[in-house]
Amino acid sequence: MSRVGTFLKQYWMFVALGFLLVYPLIWRAPYYHVLGFNTLIVATAATGWNILGGYTGYKSLGHSTFFGINAYLVAITANELGWNPLWSAPLLALGVTVVALVLGWIMARAKGSAFVIATIAMLLIFRLLALNVKSVTGGAPGLSQPLAPWSPEYSRMPFYYYMLFWLVIALLVSAYIRRSRFGLGLLAIRDDEGKANMVGVNTTLSKVLAFGVSAYFIALGGGIWSYAQTHIAPIFAFSILNDVDTVLATMLGGLGTLWGPVLGAFILIPGSDYILFNFGASQFHLAVFGVLMVVIILFLPRGILPSLRDRLAARRETSSAFTGASTMEDLSDSQPRGEVPGREAPAP
Amino acid sequence: MSTVLQTEGLVKHFGGIVAVDSCTIDVEQGDITGLIGPNGSGKTTLFNLITGVYRPDSGRVSILGRKATGLESHKICHLGLSRTFQITRLFWELTVLENMIVPVRKVGLRPLFGPGMLGDELDRAMELLARVGLTHLKDERADNLSFGQQKLLEFAAVLMAKPDVVLLDEPAGGVNPTMIRFIMDLIRSLNAEGVTFLVVEHNMSMIMELSDRVIVMDQGRTIADGTPAEVQNNPLVLEAYLGS
Repeated sequence: MSRVGTFLKQYWMFVALGFLLVYPLIWRAPYYHVLGFNTLIVATAATGWNILGGYTGYKSLGHSTFFGINAYLVAITANELGWNPLWSAPLLALGVTVVALVLGWIMARAKGSAFVIATIAMLLIFRLLALNVKSVTGGAPGLSQPLAPWSPEYSRMPFYYYMLFWLVIALLVSAYIRRSRFGLGLLAIRDDEGKANMVGVNTTLSKVLAFGVSAYFIALGGGIWSYAQTHIAPIFAFSILNDVDTVLATMLGGLGTLWGPVLGAFILIPGSDYILFNFGASQFHLAVFGVLMVVIILFLPRGILPSLRDRLAARRETSSAFTGASTMEDLSDSQPRGEVPGREAPAP
Repeated sequence: MSTVLQTEGLVKHFGGIVAVDSCTIDVEQGDITGLIGPNGSGKTTLFNLITGVYRPDSGRVSILGRKATGLESHKICHLGLSRTFQITRLFWELTVLENMIVPVRKVGLRPLFGPGMLGDELDRAMELLARVGLTHLKDERADNLSFGQQKLLEFAAVLMAKPDVVLLDEPAGGVNPTMIRFIMDLIRSLNAEGVTFLVVEHNMSMIMELSDRVIVMDQGRTIADGTPAEVQNNPLVLEAYLGS
């Protein structure tokens, strides 16, 4: 392998983070800052969603409920109490997480497609509430809140860096869970829930906790999105399209992998924006989403990262077979695995 | 000797069918107890009632003297009773070693959020893997193992929860004679270390050779209970198996 390749293999995380840190300084037009901010929101949400949908195997299509709730909480507390969303968003997201734990406890009784439908119903109920409890939410026209105090010229840059910080936190939490006994229990639930219960995993508690943690990072994004938008309405705050973004990003990058959701978001959101930009502000990008979903399921059912990893492993195996691996152990030694049972993150 | 597992008058209906009909058994500590009966006699349903897969319609279960009726499966496991399945169940996408680490007897909140694999657990897992001859496959995914290896892995993984009682549902089903010998030796040596077994098995020579005591079920009830020799000569048992 070339020296650049070796360097990238070891330090790619810092290279990627470095790039994301300087990105808004190189591309200075507000458009790029908005795009970056939106991508980071989806990447953070997808990283959170993956803890429930990927690790645990419970695929929620209603987690933008928590995005919406926190968007409203941030707007209302900013208007009524003058709370600054930069600190109130992560704080209020904790409150939303408590709501999510209660809802998760109800939802997690359903399995498979029944669970998916239950989560969609949850989203629709909260959207109806937002539309109709007008004294609190302002009804269909929505709510406005104060503008961010900094110059409009850089309006999105602080949001961008703020969300980048939270993406790093989300990844740390995801990696930590993956390596913990709790995370191993989640993976076991995904593979065989009844068996996991039988060998001593408290499956209900695990599922509810996973539901809550995944809700936190989605709620957080909703709160900051609310501040950045300055005006929110039920059809955008409680939209299943937010869930579609999150789920599609995760599945594209690699369901149940640490980095997959982030990779997926960084392909999907700029890609969909490109289509929107070049083919008019129609609903065309939604059709592209639909086709993309079919293509992923047909050709990359496990997402980009796991497929790439399999291909690399297969290539390594053939090459070591040529150089004369004599036993199965030689072959397995050529594919080092992590020492921790949380199944180490696949190298991209 | 004390009773480690006891059921009293367990009843379970599925629609109009009575799968288990006021079934009363007790398993003594340190024994290997065989549980036999024709297909459909309610053996697996009884296992499912004991381990919390189903709730009994009536009756009681107690494990190590503690009330265990209708508890969730993980609580049964924490009480000290583990089981294997008739059709092997593993965490197919996890590695052999990870499959070993998932089972726990009891876990508080702190260990739950600690690292997945603690040093002493790892040692115990490797020791058990060595005992069933799967050490070299520890990093292999469970679904890449052969049928026999999967059965051994399920058995070994169940022991990670340090159970006092183990229910085995057809440990020799679909397994070659050499492997049956191996599994029998394994059960015996674990039994010598103090693990109590309740074994469902259709292989009669195996169950008669292995068991200290045999319980026979038919149509959801226990119809005989005694040493292998006693049970083999019981007219009720012959009738259940061969028809009158």
